[in-house]
Amino acid sequence: MRTARLGRWVLALLMTTLALATVYPLLFTANAAMKTRREYILDRFSATTTLRGDNIANAWNSAGMAGYFVNSLIVVGGAVILLLLFGSMAGFALSHLKFRGSRTLFLGCLAGLFIPFQVIMVPLVRTMTAVGLIDTYPGLVVAYVAQFLPFTIYLMTSYYSAIPKDIVDAARLDGNSFYGVYRRIMLPIGLPALLSVGVLDALFCWNDVLIALLMMPSAEHRTLMVGVTALRGQYSSDIPTFASGVIIAAVPVLAVYLVFQRRIADAVTAGSTKG
Amino acid sequence: MKQRALWSVAVVAALALTGCGSAAGGDKTSNSGGKLVVWDWKSGDKTAANYIAKAKADFARKHPGVTVEFVNQPFDQYYTLLGTAIQSGKGPDVMMFNGGGQIRDRVNALVPLDAYVAQDRQRLAGWDAFSKDGKIYGAPVTLQGHPIYYNKSLYKQAGLDPEHPATTWDGFVKDCGTITKATKATCFALGNKEGIGIQFWLSGMGSGILSPQEYDDWIAGKRDWTSPDVKKIFDLWKQANDAGLNNKGANSTAMFTDIFSVFDAGKAADIIGLMSDIGHWKDFGDFLKPENVGVMTAPVVTAGAQPSLPYDGGIGYAVANWTKDPAVAADLVRSLTSTDALSAFYVDAGAIASDTTISTASAGPAVGTIVSELKAGKPALHVALSSKTLDLMGKLSQQILDGSVGVDDALRQLAASDKA
Amino acid sequence: MTPRRAADDRRPLGDRLAAYVLIAPAAVVLVVFRLWPLLLGVDFSFTGDGDQDGTPVGFGNYSELLHDPYFRIALRNVGWLVVLLPVAVAIPGLLATFIFLKVPGHRLYRSVYFFPAVLSPVIVGSIFNLLLSYDGPLNKLLAAVGMAPVDWLGDSKTALFTVVGVHIWATFGMALVVFLAGFATLDPSLLDAARSDGASLVQLIRHVIVPGLSRTIQFVFVTTMIGLLTSMFGLLYVMTSGGPGGSTTLPEYYVWIQQGQMNRPALASAASTVLFLIMLVVGLGQIAILRRSGRED
Repeated sequence: MRTARLGRWVLALLMTTLALATVYPLLFTANAAMKTRREYILDRFSATTTLRGDNIANAWNSAGMAGYFVNSLIVVGGAVILLLLFGSMAGFALSHLKFRGSRTLFLGCLAGLFIPFQVIMVPLVRTMTAVGLIDTYPGLVVAYVAQFLPFTIYLMTSYYSAIPKDIVDAARLDGNSFYGVYRRIMLPIGLPALLSVGVLDALFCWNDVLIALLMMPSAEHRTLMVGVTALRGQYSSDIPTFASGVIIAAVPVLAVYLVFQRRIADAVTAGSTKG
Repeated sequence: MKQRALWSVAVVAALALTGCGSAAGGDKTSNSGGKLVVWDWKSGDKTAANYIAKAKADFARKHPGVTVEFVNQPFDQYYTLLGTAIQSGKGPDVMMFNGGGQIRDRVNALVPLDAYVAQDRQRLAGWDAFSKDGKIYGAPVTLQGHPIYYNKSLYKQAGLDPEHPATTWDGFVKDCGTITKATKATCFALGNKEGIGIQFWLSGMGSGILSPQEYDDWIAGKRDWTSPDVKKIFDLWKQANDAGLNNKGANSTAMFTDIFSVFDAGKAADIIGLMSDIGHWKDFGDFLKPENVGVMTAPVVTAGAQPSLPYDGGIGYAVANWTKDPAVAADLVRSLTSTDALSAFYVDAGAIASDTTISTASAGPAVGTIVSELKAGKPALHVALSSKTLDLMGKLSQQILDGSVGVDDALRQLAASDKA
Repeated sequence: MTPRRAADDRRPLGDRLAAYVLIAPAAVVLVVFRLWPLLLGVDFSFTGDGDQDGTPVGFGNYSELLHDPYFRIALRNVGWLVVLLPVAVAIPGLLATFIFLKVPGHRLYRSVYFFPAVLSPVIVGSIFNLLLSYDGPLNKLLAAVGMAPVDWLGDSKTALFTVVGVHIWATFGMALVVFLAGFATLDPSLLDAARSDGASLVQLIRHVIVPGLSRTIQFVFVTTMIGLLTSMFGLLYVMTSGGPGGSTTLPEYYVWIQQGQMNRPALASAASTVLFLIMLVVGLGQIAILRRSGRED
């Protein structure tokens, strides 16, 4: 018993070290964002002595970051809602409703996961142009949904597969239609998975540069990460300004994660007591 | 049966939807009449704000009805983005290019500008980097080259004459030894993580190694990779590293983000740098004080070599062939290369502008030396190579440094790639 | 098969339709915006670049790839990634287990381990460039304990492993989130039973957690592999540029360079088609192996 307890503390020590290592880059970036370019070049590691916000202010004011921020909110919000909706619907169908072709469809979904974006990059731009969605909000939303849907479906399917079939059958016997089962049973049970995959999807979309750049080439439709990346320039010489942009972009994601990971944890506990 | 029918209907409908779409794709439409869109990776820089404003004003005088929108694209994704624009025949009217391979590889999508820029031919330098097969496809904004900068205060500390650096390789190496002993600074600051260090080396040192005839032949496309002088360039690349003239870990040091700061901080006596954008006289001057930044010509390695400043057109603007009215777009390019605009760029960003009429008198000794050498300067050796050969040379240069590939083997591979 | 289909057909039409209705939106999006472009892209890989733009060249691009030593290095590196994959899965898996078992400070770890995932790879890469540089802090640390310095990113023998290490470090928080959600499906009574039987940690993991989370583990395996093969571009670009001597080239990086810098979109398409096939084979192979060894449902 004693060795076990000791083990736990050794483990805790190791995990705390790792925690420090995971916080460090964020601190480094925030620290770099406080420095002038000259200070940064001469000494990258030393802690800044002055708390200055002018790099962050500059990054924010340069080239309409506020507008980009709103663009990102719209697009990421729209994409995540559609992803969770389509993903949970398909995940339920693939895991619990045996129908002809369900296995093929599941494998097709998996295959979709394996398509590197580079292989469809150029044809996708052409397809989007052809259907008139290029350089529009719905166009980028659809592109994100298409890109991350296989991941979302796969996760929801594996999650739902672990839910006993009896639950669905019982609900059916209570007179629910499949849509009713989806809405009343599957959505609430799937909450931990939906929150987790939602956070991840949001992170993927929020941090994406390439898809956003290709789908929304004009300046006023730009997303935040594209704007931040453009701060870097050819020779990436101005790290403090770029670091400021990174901090601006990271804060909302961190906030969302910190809010939702509590809910994920709660949902996990709730789920396991119920299951 | 029913499901199958339903399923096939869905698939056919989806296919038909996209099928029709893609048949209609690739139409060469342009942006609406009164607007020109420009893509570049400079217009977002603080130091370019004035330049862009002046160019816009100049263009507005000529075409008051046409609005211009600059889109500052991220450089890392720039050519990928441009590639998809070219393939879908839809994109900006005017776009920025690096001179050399990047623009030459894409001239199929560009409008020849010879007829529009005739009046600027004399005033601006650096056209060759934006030309292919005798036609001009872009107008140069900056000149980019590879002067050898040295830190005069380190020379002073070591008791050397800062105004007269050695002119021969042996003398140069000897001076380096003296400096390292006195100040602990290494001879060269070298960053070769991206395989770009070798490009700077080839162009920076080349004119002190190749004979003038060999040099001109190289630029003209007659490159003899088996000649002893060419081999010498790569041998010295290896020897300099083995003899400890470079900073440690050259293969893992990034060129633009990391190596210039080694020179900035006085940890190396010499660096083959740039003329524009970054790692140039203005940058170094900010850290070392302008009067401490010296520029030397390539030390002579083989007798008979005539050292010259290697430079070409740096960045420039070109016109896409899908633009509605090429003449208007070309006028915008002309405004972007007007004297007024370019002098603002020179003053704010410290770029050596392509405009030879801009006065640089007041900017410290280093820029004076560079500008005075422009006349006798020649195109840089590495710019004459294709993107593919440059890429290969970068990889081989790293392997030469870490000893996994010999110089002879590397030259053989480069010769083969250059021929293809 | 036959009895199941009979049962299937006995259901009312509405029920049978329900599955299709639920799956339709996803199917349409995937077919139109993923499958169709894929077909176009594969088609494109059989055409030429530059002067041969648009003309069919058969397998010309593929044979060029086969003869390019740097593409072969990229394929060899894929092999390394597959070897390293279990490590990349085990780390977040173990950490999630400890957090689930409520190691002291588990709330803090749960929040903090995700942090690197929100930073741009460019920043992460820049920071590690500094930390791992030849005269950087890590080598100073090594020197302090009397070890020789290592050129982490400049030596072709270590560079790939260094970058993969940084990638794992930067992304394990995401796999952690998935693992933590997976624990929701674990039957707590099994856990309690095992604990009251005095099972050790290793036994607990082996007999309760691994079988209980087999689907989650399979999922993390597949997505981690995809991450390794398709989202290391940013780190590679900043940390090694594929070098030294091409030793850290991955197919993804190769595709990117050919597409952008080299202006060879058709060759890039061929390379990404190969990448797709590799991922398909490795991914489905993994699933088959995991399924056989797990024997879950």
